[in-house]
Amino acid sequence: MTEITSGDVSRRTLLKGAGAVAGAATMGGLFSAGAGAASAFAAGKTVSVGSNQSDPAARKEDVAWVAAATKAGFDVKLNTVDHNTFQNQINSYLQGTPDDIFTWFAGYRMQFFAQKGLAVDVSDVWTKVSKNFTTGFKTASTGLDGKQYFVPSTWYPWAVMYRKSVFKAAGVDPAAIVTWADFINACKIFKSKGLTPIALGDKGGWEAMGTFDFVNLRTNGYKFHTDLLGGRASWKDARVQKTFKNWESMFPYQNANTLDLEWSDAAQLVLQKKAAMQVMGAFHASIYTDPADLADLALFPFPEINRANRRDAVEAPIDGYMLSKAASKNSANAKALAAWLASSDYSNAIASVSPTSLFANVNMPASDNPFVRQQVALVKASKYVTQFLDRDTRPDFAGPIVGPALQNFLKNPGDKVKIAANLQNQWDALPPA
Amino acid sequence: MGAKVPPRRRRSAFTKKDRLVLFGLVGIPTALCIALVVIPAILTILLSFTFWDGIGGLKTIHWAGFQNYRQIFTLYEAFPKALRNNALWLVFFALIPTPAGIILAYFVDKKLKGTNFYQTAFYLPMVLSLAVTGIVWDYIFRTNGLVNSLLGNTSAESAISWFGDPHKNIWVVLGIASWRHVGYIMMLYLAGMKAVDPALHEAAAIDGATDWYTFRRVIFPSLSAVNVIIVVVTVIDSLRAFDLVYIINRGRNGLELLGVLVYENIFGESSRIGWGAALATMLFLLSIIPIMIYLYQTFKKDK
Repeated sequence: MTEITSGDVSRRTLLKGAGAVAGAATMGGLFSAGAGAASAFAAGKTVSVGSNQSDPAARKEDVAWVAAATKAGFDVKLNTVDHNTFQNQINSYLQGTPDDIFTWFAGYRMQFFAQKGLAVDVSDVWTKVSKNFTTGFKTASTGLDGKQYFVPSTWYPWAVMYRKSVFKAAGVDPAAIVTWADFINACKIFKSKGLTPIALGDKGGWEAMGTFDFVNLRTNGYKFHTDLLGGRASWKDARVQKTFKNWESMFPYQNANTLDLEWSDAAQLVLQKKAAMQVMGAFHASIYTDPADLADLALFPFPEINRANRRDAVEAPIDGYMLSKAASKNSANAKALAAWLASSDYSNAIASVSPTSLFANVNMPASDNPFVRQQVALVKASKYVTQFLDRDTRPDFAGPIVGPALQNFLKNPGDKVKIAANLQNQWDALPPA
Repeated sequence: MGAKVPPRRRRSAFTKKDRLVLFGLVGIPTALCIALVVIPAILTILLSFTFWDGIGGLKTIHWAGFQNYRQIFTLYEAFPKALRNNALWLVFFALIPTPAGIILAYFVDKKLKGTNFYQTAFYLPMVLSLAVTGIVWDYIFRTNGLVNSLLGNTSAESAISWFGDPHKNIWVVLGIASWRHVGYIMMLYLAGMKAVDPALHEAAAIDGATDWYTFRRVIFPSLSAVNVIIVVVTVIDSLRAFDLVYIINRGRNGLELLGVLVYENIFGESSRIGWGAALATMLFLLSIIPIMIYLYQTFKKDK
């Protein structure tokens, strides 16, 4: 409806912006891996693709891959819908007359529609293209019934974003920030230099979910985190209180007015060197319009809290495509295009307009952009990959219930017992999924 | 059928054509109203007693009894806040912008110099949609917005949190909504006052009444029809408020309103149709009951 309220909405579109900004990376020539077999494509039956990539930078990517697909012999019709509208109407869209293929997210949000019978099983496509992806991506594309319903395209990690020059000026070595004590100590140094150590904006209600996820993953480990979000562990568990307590220890180092700021307002504080760090997705880079500033941007993994868990988990949401039930009428063509979307031809088309995108396809050459390389290394070093709170739990729980609860916690940390108990009560009140 | 019925004595003076026109003018809107308002309203009330995620046909709708209502009252933290904010909105509107609009109408009607200018200026906010209004005021009050800049609060740290502080934001929003409501009420009232027979003014003036006295004792009572409209408009606008707060922060953190809760629960991936329908039903009852009582009382007196 508007660009002022972002929701989870701007995350993906702005990630795309990040790609467009950093001109440094070259994708090593657009060699064709040749998986694009339009031979299976029957003439005369156009495949329609519904896209939520309405942001100009993201739209450019769509146009690029559609052109490449057309050249390869596919007949594709792209329907771009305003991002917020797309998200808000997804239920009625998928039940009405959807496009054959639509843009969506891996994880719970994919599983939800698969379970409801609103998506087409693409396991047969996967048998053809599985060599293009790691097992991690395959798992993320798999529904609860063990079949694949998703073709991954791009992804981005979450981490602590900072400017190298700011750390250097304060004499803090980011590589030495491993434990929670190191982290808090660095915060103290920044504070003593008159900087805001941690920039946070949670106006949209989703931004702080990233920090919650990390603190919980570090405090209680991957298993508890996924159990909690899957409803197998209780929010009334003492371990949740530990997470909230640890998180609270960051509060003295945050900017004021967290609920007035959107993520990009908080990111601006880092860009303007008023704040030292922001826990954010890599799309943090999208506000760095000056290449010199962008070259100064770096990230380090969220610090360790509990020795047992090290820094073994990272959030790295995956975006991609699903086939709607409409595609069952045009199954052969839709699946042929889905296979092409999994090929390097697709990724190369995107890379030609967005050089810092991170592709799910393993055949894509490594970027020589240091910030992109850091992102890849971060995920490679992690044992567990989570999506993001709003992709790892029920949609009717994440947005309308957890979002406001975390905002409430940011305002009234003293209420953490009540807040956690209420989260559990509201979970229990959800209708059976 | 018509041919066999023995001719009845027509009591009404309606010709066949009149009836046809009447049927067209009354019947079609009534049918549309039933199809588009009454039936969906009844279905919403029915859905409020169910669990449904909005996906799939009738089979996927499960009976919930009063569970949605019970849980909204006992568990839903946002609900009491929304109820309080809607009530506050109503009381505030009734006490400040509505009387202010009437007083403005009184002054504007006195044909002071530049009346047309004032009239336009006060009515202008009404021309903008609430969504646009929200965006404009957001730029004025946000932490790096106009007001904070004028106050010299340039950093996010020192800025006054007009929209982020739950003790402050509802008052700022009420101020913005009033800015719009005043012009609306003024216009409605002005239209009414223009229709008042000038003889009433003259008679009052001859009797030696002051302007203000005339307004209170002669004009105001003679405008009862407009007063009814104003009461109804104020009640409905207060209860259905949505756009402004949704633009500002999606109606959270102190800006919860029933309208927003309905929307948030029904649209998007997170459809809890039953839950949202229960909220909508309560909102419906809250709006319809006081208005029905008021209208009933008013029109009973008129008879």
